Amino acid sequence: MAEPEVSSAASAGGWRLRNAFGGVLCAFTLLLIGVLAFSIRLFSVIKYESVIHEFDPYFNFRVTQFLSKNGIYEFWNWFDDRTWYPLGRVIGGTVYPGLTLTAGTIWWLLNSLNIPLSVETVCVFTAPIFSANASWATYLLTKEAKGTGAGLMAAAILAMVPSYISRSVAGSYDNEAVAIFALIFTFYLYVKTLNTGSLFYATLNALSYFYMVCSWGGYTFIINLIPMHVLLCIVTGRYSSRLYIAYAPLVILGTLLAALVPVVGFNAVMTSEHFASFLVFIILHVVALVYYIKGLLTPRLFKVAMTFVITVGLTYASKYIPIIASVSEHQPPTWPSYFMDINVLAFLIPAGIISCFLPLSDASSFMVLYLVTAVYFSGVMVRLMLVLAPAACILSGIALSAAFDVLTRSIKFQLSKLFDDSPAASGDSSPESSSAGTVNTNSTKSESRTEKSETAPKEKPSKKNRKKEKEVAESVPVRPKKEKRLLVLPFELSVMGILLLIVLGGFYVVHCVWAAAEAYSAPSIVLTSRNRDGLHVFDDFREAYGWLSHNTDVDDKVASWWDYGYQTTAMANRTVIVDNNTWNNTHIATVGTAMSSPEKAAWEIFNSLDVKYVLVVFGGLVGYPSDDINKFLWMVRIGGGVFPHIKEADYLRDGNYRVDAQATPTMLNCLMYKLCYYRFVETDGKGYDRVRGYEIGKKHFKLTHFEEVFTTHHWMVRIYKLKPQKNRVRGKLKKLKSNSKTSSTLAAGQKKNPWQ
Amino acid sequence: MAPAPARHLLLLLPLLLAAAPAGADDLVAELQSLRARSPSGVIHLTDTSVTRFLSAPASRRPYSVLLFFDAAALHSKPDLHLPQLRTEFALLAASFHDRNPGSGDLFFADIEFAESQHSFHQFGVNSLPHVRLIRPEHSTLAGSEQMDQSHFGRLADSMAEFVESRTGLEVGPIVRPPLLSRNQIILLGILFLISIPFAIKRVIEGETLLHDRRVWMAGALFVYFFSVSGGMYGIIRHTPMFLTDRSDPDKLVFFYQGSGMQLGAEGFAVGFLYTLVGLMIAGVTHLLVKVESLQTQRFAMMAVIAIGWWAVRKVIFLDNWKTGYSIHTFWPSSWRIWNHPH
Repeated sequence: MAEPEVSSAASAGGWRLRNAFGGVLCAFTLLLIGVLAFSIRLFSVIKYESVIHEFDPYFNFRVTQFLSKNGIYEFWNWFDDRTWYPLGRVIGGTVYPGLTLTAGTIWWLLNSLNIPLSVETVCVFTAPIFSANASWATYLLTKEAKGTGAGLMAAAILAMVPSYISRSVAGSYDNEAVAIFALIFTFYLYVKTLNTGSLFYATLNALSYFYMVCSWGGYTFIINLIPMHVLLCIVTGRYSSRLYIAYAPLVILGTLLAALVPVVGFNAVMTSEHFASFLVFIILHVVALVYYIKGLLTPRLFKVAMTFVITVGLTYASKYIPIIASVSEHQPPTWPSYFMDINVLAFLIPAGIISCFLPLSDASSFMVLYLVTAVYFSGVMVRLMLVLAPAACILSGIALSAAFDVLTRSIKFQLSKLFDDSPAASGDSSPESSSAGTVNTNSTKSESRTEKSETAPKEKPSKKNRKKEKEVAESVPVRPKKEKRLLVLPFELSVMGILLLIVLGGFYVVHCVWAAAEAYSAPSIVLTSRNRDGLHVFDDFREAYGWLSHNTDVDDKVASWWDYGYQTTAMANRTVIVDNNTWNNTHIATVGTAMSSPEKAAWEIFNSLDVKYVLVVFGGLVGYPSDDINKFLWMVRIGGGVFPHIKEADYLRDGNYRVDAQATPTMLNCLMYKLCYYRFVETDGKGYDRVRGYEIGKKHFKLTHFEEVFTTHHWMVRIYKLKPQKNRVRGKLKKLKSNSKTSSTLAAGQKKNPWQ
Repeated sequence: MAPAPARHLLLLLPLLLAAAPAGADDLVAELQSLRARSPSGVIHLTDTSVTRFLSAPASRRPYSVLLFFDAAALHSKPDLHLPQLRTEFALLAASFHDRNPGSGDLFFADIEFAESQHSFHQFGVNSLPHVRLIRPEHSTLAGSEQMDQSHFGRLADSMAEFVESRTGLEVGPIVRPPLLSRNQIILLGILFLISIPFAIKRVIEGETLLHDRRVWMAGALFVYFFSVSGGMYGIIRHTPMFLTDRSDPDKLVFFYQGSGMQLGAEGFAVGFLYTLVGLMIAGVTHLLVKVESLQTQRFAMMAVIAIGWWAVRKVIFLDNWKTGYSIHTFWPSSWRIWNHPH
C-alpha cells in the first residue's frame, strides 16, 4: 500500500516540476514572440526614419496631439475649423476614438513615469506594440481551442504574417493597428466564456467588444460572426447554458456600450448589420426556453429550430450574398495576393480545418467558422485579407502543431525503442493526448525541446479549473483509450517530414522578413530610389509642408486635391478646403472643378473660398507616378458630377488621356496642367515628362492669376499664390500706383465716407 | 419677316412628299419582312443592305435604325461584354416590338465586322461596343448619332432610355425571359413536394446533413478552396477560364503574367495545389498514423513528401513568375561573399 503512495507523491512532485518548467519555457517563448512581432515591424524606422506614414495616420496623429495637449473632454467636443473650410468638421463625434485614446493613454502613462517621449514617437510605435499584444491574444485564443502547443505555434506565425505587417509597421498609425488585437482578444474571451461558462469572462468579452467598436468599423464582423457561430451551435444541436452565457450578455452589454461611441450611436440598433445579432438573440431565447420546458423532447425541438433556422438562413443568404457578390467596386484578390499575404499558410490551413473537426468542440467549430467567413470575405474584397490573417495563423498553428505532434511522437518512441527494447516505453504510449493524471516517466529521455513546451503546459489549465474545462478535456482522451497500438509513423520518414516542415517554416520566415523589409515599409512621405549612383532620398513633401508652416500666415487657406489634406493640416498646420475624410462630395467637386477650369474661372472659385495658396503634386521631373496629373481625371469626373459644365470628354483625345502635343485645348488650358507644367520646360529644354514618357504639349506659357511661390527640390510639390484682385477701372490703376502705400487706408476711408 | 421661311418650307413639303413614296414604302415593307424572319426582331445587315436601307437619301427612308456593331472575333474578350450586350440589344428589340407591333418607325439591326468591314469604315467605327442611331434627318452615315458609353451601363434599360429620348417612340418595359421556364419550375416544385416528407423524417430523427460533421468539413474546405483560388475574382470580373493566344489561335493560354489579373483555370489550379498539400498533411497526421501496415505507411508518406515538395515548389515558382517579385534573404553583411547581390 505504501509503495503506490510514495510513487504517486514522487510523480506528483515530478509532474509539478515539469509543469513549472513548461510554464516558464512557455512564458519565455511568448516573450520572444512578442519581441519578434515588435522588431520585425521596425524595418521602416531603420530603413527610413521614425516618421508617421501615408495619409490617414497623419490625421490620427494630429488628433492624438490634440488629445494629449487639451485632454479628453476637449477632444470629445472638438470642432475642427482647420479643415473643410468654411464648413469645418466635428472631430469628436466622427472618429473611432479607440486608437487615439490608446496612444494618448500610453503617452500619458509614460510621461507620468517620467519617461519623456514625444507624442509622435508613441504614435509611431503603437502599431508594433499592439502587434505583440495581438500575437499573445492569438496564443490565448488558440490555446482555448487546441492547447498550448498550437497556441505558441499560431502566435509565432501571427507575429510575422505579411498581411498584418502591411498595416502595422512602425509609423503606420491607423485604426487597424489596434483593431486586430481587439478582434482576436474579443474572440478569445468569447471562446473562453464558451468553454468555462463564466459570467466574469462574459463581461470582459463585452468590454473587449466595446474596445473594438471604439477602434474600427470592422467591429461589424464580430457582431455578425459570433451570432453565426451561435446559430451554428444551435442548428447542430450543441446548445448549452454556456452558449447562452457567452452570447446573451455580449449582445445586451455590447450593444449598450457600442451605442456610447458617438460615431456608432444609434446605428448599433438601427442598421441592418446589427440585425442578425438580435435575431439570433431571439432564437437563442426561444431555443433556451424550449430546452428548459421540454428537456426530454429533443427531437421535436429540432423540428422547431430547424424550420426557424432554415427559413431565416435562407432569407438571409438569398438577401445578402448576391449583394456582396455584385458590388464590383470591391477589389477581389487574385491567387498571388494570397501567396503574398499569407504565404505558406495557404498550404497548412486545410490541414488545420480538418484538425478542428477531429474532434469538433465549440471552440474549434468557432475557428472553422471564423476562417470560412474571413476567407470568403477576403475573396470578395482584398482589404479584408487583414481579417483573414489571424484565422489563417490560428488554423496553420493548429495544423503545424498536430503534424509536429505526430512526427515527434513517432521519432521519440521509436528512438527509445532503438536504445532499449524495454516494454516501459509502450506503457505510456500516448502522453501527448492523455488526460491530466497520466505521468510521463520518460521525461528524462531524449526528446525535443519543442515537445516539452508543448506537452507540459497543456496539463496545467485542466488542473486549474478542472470542472469547468471538463467538457473540453473530455473530448480529447477518448481516442487513445480505445487504441492500444502505438500511433506512430515510420522513423526515418518522420525525420524527413519534420525537416521538410522546418524548411517550409523557414521559407515562411524568409518571405515575411522580405515582405516587411521591402514591400511594406515605405512611409510614402519620404521616397527613396536606388540606382547605380546609390540611394536617392526624395523628401519634397516635408520640404513643402515646412515651407508652408514657416512662410505663410497661420490663418491662410491652402487648396489641394483631397489626398494631401490630412498631411497639410498635420504638418503645415494650415487650413485646408478638403481632406481625406471625404464626407462632402460637393466640396470636393468644387475643388475638382477649380483644378479643371481655366485660370480665371479657377481663380474665382478659389477666391470665393478665401484660398491663398494652391498646392499641386507633380512627378514628371523625377518619375513619381501617383501625382496630380495622373489623378486628374478623377478631379474632372468628380467635378463634372456636380458641375455639369465640366465634361470628361473635353479632356480626352479619342478616349485617351494625354498631355502631349495631341492633348485637347481644354486640357492644356486647365489650371492643373498649368500649375504642374509651369516653367517645366526650363528644366531640360524639352519638357520631357518622365511619368507619362513623352514631351508635354504646351511648353511656354505665363500665369495670369497665380504666381509661383515655392517649388521643392525635385519639383514634386509646387505651391502657387493667388494674385490679388486687379482693379477694374483702368484709369484708377495709375492713380493707385502712385500712392500705393496708402491704398488700404484709402479704401477704409472711402467706406467711412457715407457716414460722415 | 418670320412667315417667309415657313412659307418656303410649306412649299418644299409637297415636293418632299412627292419624292418620297417612290421607294420608302417598299423599303419599310422589306425591312418589316426581314424583321419578321428574324427570331429576335433584329435585322442582320451587310454591306449591300446598308447601302440599300441606310445610304438612301433621307427622303426615301422615313424610319430610324438602331444599329449594333458586332464582331464575332471579339466575343471572347471578357472586358467588352459583346455577347451580353448583343442579347440585351435583342431584348430591347423584342420589347419594342411587343409595345409597337408592326411599327415602321424604328428598326433594330446588327452588323458583323468580318463580313461588313466596308460599312464599319463608312460609319467610322473603330472601337467596340458601339451602337448607332440613324435617324431620317441624318444625311451621312458618319453623321448619325453614337450611343454614349453610359447608356450601356444598365444594359437594355438604359438603351431604352436613349431610344426614347432620341426618337420620341415608346419602348415600354423591358421584357426579360424568366430564369427558369414554366415546366422547369413545375418539375422543381414537384421534386420539392416529394422530398418534404423525407426531409421531415430525417429532421425529426436528427440525422440531417446538418448533423453530419463531414458535410460541414467538406463545405468549409470547398469555401476555402474557392476563395483561395480567386474564384470570387472570376465571378466579379467575369474573367474566362483561359484565353487563346493572339499569335497562335490554336494555342491556349492558361496562365496570365502580371499580378493584377488572373484567369479562371490558373486560379483553380493553384487553389487545388494549396488545398492538396493541406489535405495531405492532414491525412498523414490523422489518418496514416492509424494504418497498421508499416509498408503502406512508408509508401504513403513517401508519396506525400514527394507530391508536397513538388506542389509547394510549383506554387512558389508560379508566384515568382507571375508577380515578378524576387524574394531574397537578408544575411549579415560579413557573410556577403556567399550572398548574391541584390
